[in-house]
Amino acid sequence: MSLAIPQGLDNTVERPGERAPLVLGETTYHTITETVSQIAERPPSIAWLVGFLISATLASAFGLSILYLLYTGVGVWGNRSPVFWGWPIVNFVFWVGIGHAGTLISAILFLFRQDWRTSINRAAEAMTIFAVICAATFPGIHVGRAWLAFWLAPYPSLNLWMWPQFRSPLLWDVFAVSTYGTVSLLFWYMGMVPDLATFRDRSKNKWRRMAYGLLALGWTGSSRHWMRYEKAYALLAAFAAPLVLSVHTIVSFDFAVSQVPGWHTTIFPPYFVAGAIFSGFAMVLTLMIPCRSIYGLEKLITVRHLENMCKIILATGSIVGLAYGTEFFIAWYGQVGEEKFAFINRAFGPYWWAYWTMVTCNVVSPQLFWFKKNRTIPWRIVVISIFVNIGMWFERFVIVISSLSRDYLPSAWGYFTPTWIDWTMLVGSFGLFFTLFLLFCRFMPVINMAEVKATLAGQLHHHHGDH
Amino acid sequence: MSDTQANQVHGTYAEFDSVDTLLAACRRVRDAGYTQTDAYTPFPVHGIDKALGIKPTHLPWISLACGLTGVTIGLVMQCWMNGIDYKYIISGKPFISLPAFMPVSFELTILLASFGAFFGMLALNGLPRFNNPLFSKPRFDRATDDKFFLYIDAKDSRYDASGVAQFLTDLGGQHVDQVVEDDTRLTIPKPIWVIVGVLMFVACVPPLVLARMRVTTSGSPRFHVFFDMDFSPAKGAQEISTLFADGRSMRPDVPGTVASGQFEEDIDYYTGIDFEELARRDSSRATRLVRALRDEPDQTPEVSEADAPSEAPAIVDAPSTPVAPGTVDDTPWLPGNPLPLSSAVLNRGREKFEIYCAVCHGNDGRGNGLVNRRAQRILATAWVQPSSLHQETLYAEQYPDGKLFSTITNGIRKMAGYRAQLTAQDRWAVVAYVRALQASQNATLEDLPADKRNELRKEQAEVLQQLAEQAEEERRRAEATSATVAQ
Amino acid sequence: MAAHAAHPKPADDPTFQLPASISGLASPLGLSGLMLLVVGVLIGLFAGAGGRFTMSAYLTAFTYVLSISLGSLFFVLIQHLCRAGWSVVVRRVAEMMMIAIPALAILFLPILLTVWMGGGTLFAWGDPNFAADHGVPLVTWAEKTRYLNGTWFTVRSIIYLIAWSAIAIFYFSLSRRQDETGEVTLTERMQARSGPAVIAFSLITTFAAFDWLMSLAPMWFSTMFGVYIFAGSVLAAHCAIAAFVFWLQSRGAIREEVTIEHYHDLGKLMFGFVFFWTYISFSQYMLIWYANIPEETEWFYTRQRGPWATVSIMLVFFHWMLPFLGLMSRHVRRRPALVCFWAVYILVMHFIDIYWIVMPEAGSGLGSLVGIITSVLMTVGMVSLYLGGVLWFASANQVRVLAVRDPRLPESLAFENL
Repeated sequence: MSLAIPQGLDNTVERPGERAPLVLGETTYHTITETVSQIAERPPSIAWLVGFLISATLASAFGLSILYLLYTGVGVWGNRSPVFWGWPIVNFVFWVGIGHAGTLISAILFLFRQDWRTSINRAAEAMTIFAVICAATFPGIHVGRAWLAFWLAPYPSLNLWMWPQFRSPLLWDVFAVSTYGTVSLLFWYMGMVPDLATFRDRSKNKWRRMAYGLLALGWTGSSRHWMRYEKAYALLAAFAAPLVLSVHTIVSFDFAVSQVPGWHTTIFPPYFVAGAIFSGFAMVLTLMIPCRSIYGLEKLITVRHLENMCKIILATGSIVGLAYGTEFFIAWYGQVGEEKFAFINRAFGPYWWAYWTMVTCNVVSPQLFWFKKNRTIPWRIVVISIFVNIGMWFERFVIVISSLSRDYLPSAWGYFTPTWIDWTMLVGSFGLFFTLFLLFCRFMPVINMAEVKATLAGQLHHHHGDH
Repeated sequence: MSDTQANQVHGTYAEFDSVDTLLAACRRVRDAGYTQTDAYTPFPVHGIDKALGIKPTHLPWISLACGLTGVTIGLVMQCWMNGIDYKYIISGKPFISLPAFMPVSFELTILLASFGAFFGMLALNGLPRFNNPLFSKPRFDRATDDKFFLYIDAKDSRYDASGVAQFLTDLGGQHVDQVVEDDTRLTIPKPIWVIVGVLMFVACVPPLVLARMRVTTSGSPRFHVFFDMDFSPAKGAQEISTLFADGRSMRPDVPGTVASGQFEEDIDYYTGIDFEELARRDSSRATRLVRALRDEPDQTPEVSEADAPSEAPAIVDAPSTPVAPGTVDDTPWLPGNPLPLSSAVLNRGREKFEIYCAVCHGNDGRGNGLVNRRAQRILATAWVQPSSLHQETLYAEQYPDGKLFSTITNGIRKMAGYRAQLTAQDRWAVVAYVRALQASQNATLEDLPADKRNELRKEQAEVLQQLAEQAEEERRRAEATSATVAQ
Repeated sequence: MAAHAAHPKPADDPTFQLPASISGLASPLGLSGLMLLVVGVLIGLFAGAGGRFTMSAYLTAFTYVLSISLGSLFFVLIQHLCRAGWSVVVRRVAEMMMIAIPALAILFLPILLTVWMGGGTLFAWGDPNFAADHGVPLVTWAEKTRYLNGTWFTVRSIIYLIAWSAIAIFYFSLSRRQDETGEVTLTERMQARSGPAVIAFSLITTFAAFDWLMSLAPMWFSTMFGVYIFAGSVLAAHCAIAAFVFWLQSRGAIREEVTIEHYHDLGKLMFGFVFFWTYISFSQYMLIWYANIPEETEWFYTRQRGPWATVSIMLVFFHWMLPFLGLMSRHVRRRPALVCFWAVYILVMHFIDIYWIVMPEAGSGLGSLVGIITSVLMTVGMVSLYLGGVLWFASANQVRVLAVRDPRLPESLAFENL
């Protein structure tokens, strides 16, 4: 019997009352398994090897620059009075932001029953975890004596005889980011267990079978297991959804509870969260579009998936733009001198170039997604997404650097200049991120096969139901 | 039942092609009264719980309990740590600041609730379980790919091997087969054991080393990983540093800045010189001085430096340094004290005088302070006795207030400047006090207001009386001592 | 599937009209509401509650009903934006509340009138002596009054009301036209416009919140304020939809079209928005509390003294904690009566929230007995006028309570939660 539904590859038009298919072509359960598994089963392609070599090199540069920093001291960064937060914190916030899309897709879109998440959630979750790893590195080394970073944990120390300062937002950050990393890891891993079992059962090689078997925890696909598994998944989604909000909210608290002009503004929490989702989706698109075409996943990650993500980018980009505007308006409306100055300084001060790069990339470029062509032609999406990523990096740059470099005391004003170590770390963190992602593509199920099969089953059900 | 156990039958399974056939079969099996059944599917099948009669799980309760534990731990931990056990004031916040404790409590709630959901799910499912008899069937590998399996366990009271097989076949099941105990030996390849063993051994080394270090003592010096963190390479004030382009390790003030409260707006007030007058008399010197003062506010471009040639010899102070002939101090010093005089100012001046000046000059200003007395006792050769302040040359007529102020500010000969220790206002107060001290030494009874004179006379009489008594006492004591010595 | 049994009713089927038992309430509710409102205002003005207190109470009541309509408008927009299927059966109820916005514009006139009468009766910035009395530097005040002045305020208010009304009328009329024609393109048109509409809506609502509520304390500012008002409004709208649908269903206007699944979803959304409201209000409080800058803390300081301290604590426990715990369980959310109970409960708390935003700026605490009577009369009056108006409009225009020919109606009818 044939389970295939005949259809074209364009599923971007959805007549009201009908639902466009999310799995295209002559796809069956087995072809889903085949398509996804062969990525990890075939020997790596040249493209993969080249990509891996480049990113691993960059990642090593990251590692070496961290070693150099630890051995020499944080003076190797461009952080100087008055800009003590410099690039490491810019990079930290940037990467944490990137790390928001994965859990958002898994949790919030799950709660909103957006079926299209199933094809992209796995890779997005992986991306989340790798981004959180990159993010957590920066504050870790920013503390100066990184080998004593465990002092941040509230453990009964025989040397210190004291406890951490729980009234500090920086400690909240430690808890938020580590909780987020842990829960995302659980979520990711739990989602992968059935697919790892698929890999296990397909393995021809004893070693491979053993490795995947260990990771799959003896999963059989029993209905009782599935029932509890789905419940656990729903619960994790319900916990992860507010968690996603809380993480970037707490990151925004790092800034907003202070009195630095340009930092202390109450809209920061929702605005940071929107920005994080914005950048996260842009990164998902940047990664998934090449991945999709290299591995031939067009029938599973369809144009419709891409289009939906573009729409989310458009929505969150507009929220971010609205927040920029509100901040500016309230700075004027509030008539507090320092606040007014901070905003004028952002736009027309020494960092005007960063500010206008940010506005162009974050507010103007996503507006191109109003046009359907820009939402459906993959290379255009990639280009816009990259602009969005650049813009979001600059947003953090503008917030951190422009406010710190000119605050209340004009005599203490300064101009931040990054050092070569700063540059190496920024580029190197991308190297680490891509290295981990490429390893993931190589060894793990890139697409959540079980969920896509369930989506396909729903689609078949409707398909048959219509007749 | 030892050798038969190896081939014990666990149950029977049948393979189905699609969700619909599976669901139909499930319902039939349930309706036939089987309870120990299960289905194995590559993805969660909607509606199978009902079809198989599976009861809902208690997982949400486990998760809720964990979450509540998390919020309790979070709140209690923070209140106890920051509010009770280790209190410290930070940014004016109360020790127990509930708003500030919310984020961490929230995160811990989520963390533990998620652990509850994940590990609870594993525990309820009995995972991980690596040896499952089902895994011995190669066909069963497709349960994670595209086939659906219905399984009836041998524990079911209605189980009967051939009947069940027939029943499943009738339901449209393919490849109906019995699942028997997996009799293949549990074979974990040798290399795994070796690797695990080596890893475990290696993992033991660091804790053992640490433990040994904890309990033993060592004579060798401590190992410094980051030498410059243990021994901070701090720079002395005058040393060269490579950190800054100008090579100085001490950082000068930022050009154009003034430390809080140190803005020396009134140049006369801060130098003791009447600059208007100076400009009239010697404009080039005035310009030079002003430039020196303005350009380098931190340095001491003082009169003593800028004017050293004309200045130093002009200072007539101690008998040992006679006035160099032919040099006249023509600086237009401020003749009077710019501070409005009051007893508060004089008291301030006295306080500062007794702190800073009296150690050398003595409380009475006669140049016989503690330092001087000690210097004489140890017969210090290089010691120059501090000037007595009670000499004609230091009185206001010859040594104007401005000049005295300048001397206090910048020092003279061996005396250091007190610019750094005393604010300009305090220095002027000291000037005022010195004048009062000078006046007191030459005062007559007539200088006092009439109503105070009697008081003073009385005091004088009392003091004299006391002195006399003291002398008497002394005498008696001396006699007594000599008497005891004599005995 | 069992749910497939219910099929869309034909457009001329009278089943989905408001039943007489409900439409008959329209005039009594509306008239008595209007009367109470007028009596409330008169008592307030002439029995000594004070002009500012009375008008603040009026603004509270007005904002309360407006926020429900605005939340409903957002609900409708977002369902179109997301092409949601589940919500079709409850969307018309939201549309019925959202179409009240043009009528509410008339109820805004007394506020405009107060502003035009000058002297800062309601908005302190209208007082020419404000700067002098509060020690505000004149330069600052000159800048502020460039924005906060009667003319400009009026212009802006009119823009807000017209824009909201335009969006509401557009969506309402298209949705109703679909009842008759069943054109699928109408849905497509509504979907296509929903993106820009949502953006316009958020921009306008943010600024309306600034102008109408935040500027009651002229020197205070918070960038989050618009989001805060938005969160409360959307929460209130979900509650109002749930309660309204339950009422209609209990009177037989809707039968098995709305199922437990829909209540479950509304319950989830109510739960979610209780959380969101808490998140926003906590963040706003936290940031201001933590930074402790005088310009900002003043607003919360006012609300931490006297009777307002009690109200603030009430909000924490009864606007957040109680409904949060109450709606946490799936069993509660799957019982329509309980969902309706919590919806009404949260609607009451939403009123207290608005009251807590507006009234402390009136400067006379909870008011004397007269003040309390005024507030109660005006609130009850406004709510029943609103309800009466909504019912009257629906029955006069024979509006169906269900979008009977929406192309996604079958999907909504068959909708099942996981």
